[in-house]
Amino acid sequence: MTTGLNFSKIAARSGFYIFDCFEYPSLIRGGHNTYETIISKDPVYATRNEVDLLVCLNKETFELHKNRLHTDSLVVFDEENFQIPDGDFHKLAIPMKKILREQKGSMVMMNNVALAASLSLLNWPYEEIEKIIIQSFKKKGQNVIDLNARISRMTYDYVTEQYEKHIVHDFLPTKNPEKKVVLTGNDAFSLAAIAADCRFYAAYPMTPASTVLTTMAGLAEKTGMVVRHAEDEISVINTALGASVAGVRSSVGTSGGGFALMTEAVSFAGIGEIPIVIFLSQRPGPATGLPTWTEQGDLLFAVNAGHGEFPKIILAPGDTEEMFALTMRAFDLADTYQTPVIILSDKHLSESTMSIPAITLKLSAKSNSPDRGKRISKAENYLRYAKSADGISPLLIPGAPHSFYQINSYEHEEDGHTTEDAQMRVEQVEKRNKKTQTYLQKDFKMPETHGNMADAEIIFVSWGSNKGAILEAQKVLASKLIKTAFIHFTHVFPMDEKKILPLFEAKKRYILVENNSHGQFGKLLREQTGVVLTEKILKYDGRQLYVEEIVEYVTV
Amino acid sequence: MSPFEEFDGQTPTWCPGCGNWAIGAVVKRALANLRLSPSSVFVSFGIGCSGNMNDFLNAYAVHALHGRAIPVAIGFKLANHKMPVVAIVGDGDCYGEGGNHFLHALRGNHDITVIVHDNSVYGLTTGQSAPTSPKGFRSKSTPDGLIETPLNPLALAISQGGTFVSQAYASRVPQITELIQKAITHKGFSLVNVLQPCVTFNRTNTYDYYDSKVYDLPSSYIPHDQVSALKHAMNMTIKEEFPLGIVYESKRPAFHECLPQLGKQTLLERGQFEGIHEILEHFI
Repeated sequence: MTTGLNFSKIAARSGFYIFDCFEYPSLIRGGHNTYETIISKDPVYATRNEVDLLVCLNKETFELHKNRLHTDSLVVFDEENFQIPDGDFHKLAIPMKKILREQKGSMVMMNNVALAASLSLLNWPYEEIEKIIIQSFKKKGQNVIDLNARISRMTYDYVTEQYEKHIVHDFLPTKNPEKKVVLTGNDAFSLAAIAADCRFYAAYPMTPASTVLTTMAGLAEKTGMVVRHAEDEISVINTALGASVAGVRSSVGTSGGGFALMTEAVSFAGIGEIPIVIFLSQRPGPATGLPTWTEQGDLLFAVNAGHGEFPKIILAPGDTEEMFALTMRAFDLADTYQTPVIILSDKHLSESTMSIPAITLKLSAKSNSPDRGKRISKAENYLRYAKSADGISPLLIPGAPHSFYQINSYEHEEDGHTTEDAQMRVEQVEKRNKKTQTYLQKDFKMPETHGNMADAEIIFVSWGSNKGAILEAQKVLASKLIKTAFIHFTHVFPMDEKKILPLFEAKKRYILVENNSHGQFGKLLREQTGVVLTEKILKYDGRQLYVEEIVEYVTV
Repeated sequence: MSPFEEFDGQTPTWCPGCGNWAIGAVVKRALANLRLSPSSVFVSFGIGCSGNMNDFLNAYAVHALHGRAIPVAIGFKLANHKMPVVAIVGDGDCYGEGGNHFLHALRGNHDITVIVHDNSVYGLTTGQSAPTSPKGFRSKSTPDGLIETPLNPLALAISQGGTFVSQAYASRVPQITELIQKAITHKGFSLVNVLQPCVTFNRTNTYDYYDSKVYDLPSSYIPHDQVSALKHAMNMTIKEEFPLGIVYESKRPAFHECLPQLGKQTLLERGQFEGIHEILEHFI
């Protein structure tokens, strides 16, 4: 995995945009692991089915992916390991094992051999590998660096000499390219949370959200954040709510199973009016499901999570750049509305990597000064749940002198004391409900549209991580003279019926695209706006939507 | 208004004769004796008869979910470690629904004081058996007698890393006051398990029962050895005898004291982290 990421980083440093994804079975180690990267001179959002360069470290790789090769594909392998039959592609045998043996390297170093061969074939300078090796192994000492560098150099030179005519010249590095960061969706969430002044993060490890916990924990001393790996997800969210009550921005992360355990406290945050940002990275369920694969199966679960009625906001970023921006926004919304805000991701978004111009994120982080919502620092006869026109009561941080109050999981009076009075119940229910109305008026964002809505024959309707495949499919379809547009929802719940309806009034072919079997967003759209979409592309095999599948659906 | 009266909230709705009345008064007395005010202490309540103290005690507080008072207390402490944090919970609440949180709070030695109203029965739901109910206990949920043996909170706390483990009895008011004060002053996880007869739903663990079963730890007893402490704790399980006082006490850095990012300033007090640009550089 590190090797694949290193390749992506080198590509980004050389001036290219990248998108990559990583597939692995739910095993501690081993099994068939693949790392797929697409490089492009223009921004790119999804990998493609056709493989131009296939590096096989075992025969299974060739067998599983040979149907993706074309006449110009290059297949790198080691004859000492296994043979591959001749075919309509180019075989490039490299004595990987021999090089390792001669240099007394270990078999783990095969990864760097593969990296060196790839760079050589792309005609990228060897020095880039050396830089990455130094970065990766500086903790392991000079000997390890030297050994890896020697093996990489030998492989690089071998390929340059033996396969000169196969070397690709279309992707030469640009000089002084714009700096790009290479981030997974989980990285983007973590960094945006830090940028948004989140000071407390709690989690229990669960794929595909675990790397948020490890990234946050790794950076905790530097950022000053407190990160708690609690005993279970129930403790995770209740701890974070405790920190939030104390007045610091707090967040938790999990996948569907962990979120199921959290739902009781989501409801508590609703009635207690406690700000919290919940990062929910979906994987295929039900139950343990397919732990290391992807699906958008928890949208309606998130919408309906928590007993009782209370306001909740759900944002679904479509790529890592949106993840960064929407995560920062989520913290503002949680504070503004004093209620749970969920960032909905999935394995494909959480663990795939995309390059983003560094300046974009730096500007985005710089322009963000946290909006903590209605806050006061002192009060006499403070009413935590005071009625207000917008449903939001000013928040006093505990510890303020000459005051006190309670946050109550029971229905309460304006001052927080428990009540079962009918009138007060109605008033507090209506106060909480008002927050949804306020959000729809002030903060609900319309979906982005891509392509020309007026011209399009086909309009894709989707949300979340399907964005990449749809954008790429639009490019392919445009080259086939099929005009399409795409409505990409990010503010998926709640939705404003009046604002959304006009998008669906044209006499067009609307196609709902989702990575689940129930068409959950279609149901939600119908519930929230009355719009009914009958044509659907639904995929639920644990893999993300592929560009070619969308193109094929439209053209065949 | 006296410092004690400042803590007075609404008039309690507990049953006449319930041990909660004594504990409720004692908590206020202990807080006032420690020169705390409703503005300078945070209390996390669980759900149950004990948790209903939320409306009777003035303080910055959360009336949390059933079983979840401890994680809320931990989170609050980590965000504002200068404020004393107390969790007021019941036996079903803390040892049943929230048992996992109790275990792990002990391991972490989080600097919170947990006061358990241990009445060995579910009172708010009108009389079902609880984790500390004696074996054979007949209740609405165990009409033929409880099959399980009672959970031993003291042994559990001592063995899982608690650094202040104590037990009190609701009819001995001065001792509870003293123990609660010491527990709040203690740096690290402190447990005050208060044996408390439920006059309405528990016909077994009555005042008469406890009057004959409790014993004071000898004045020569030094509570710093886990094995001796466990012997006293195990008297509850083996002999049905209940030690009163500090059963175990030791020094170990509290969880927040082990975090270099928490020092003179709390998480709440410190300024915003400004180094995001530097971190982004690592991803280039």
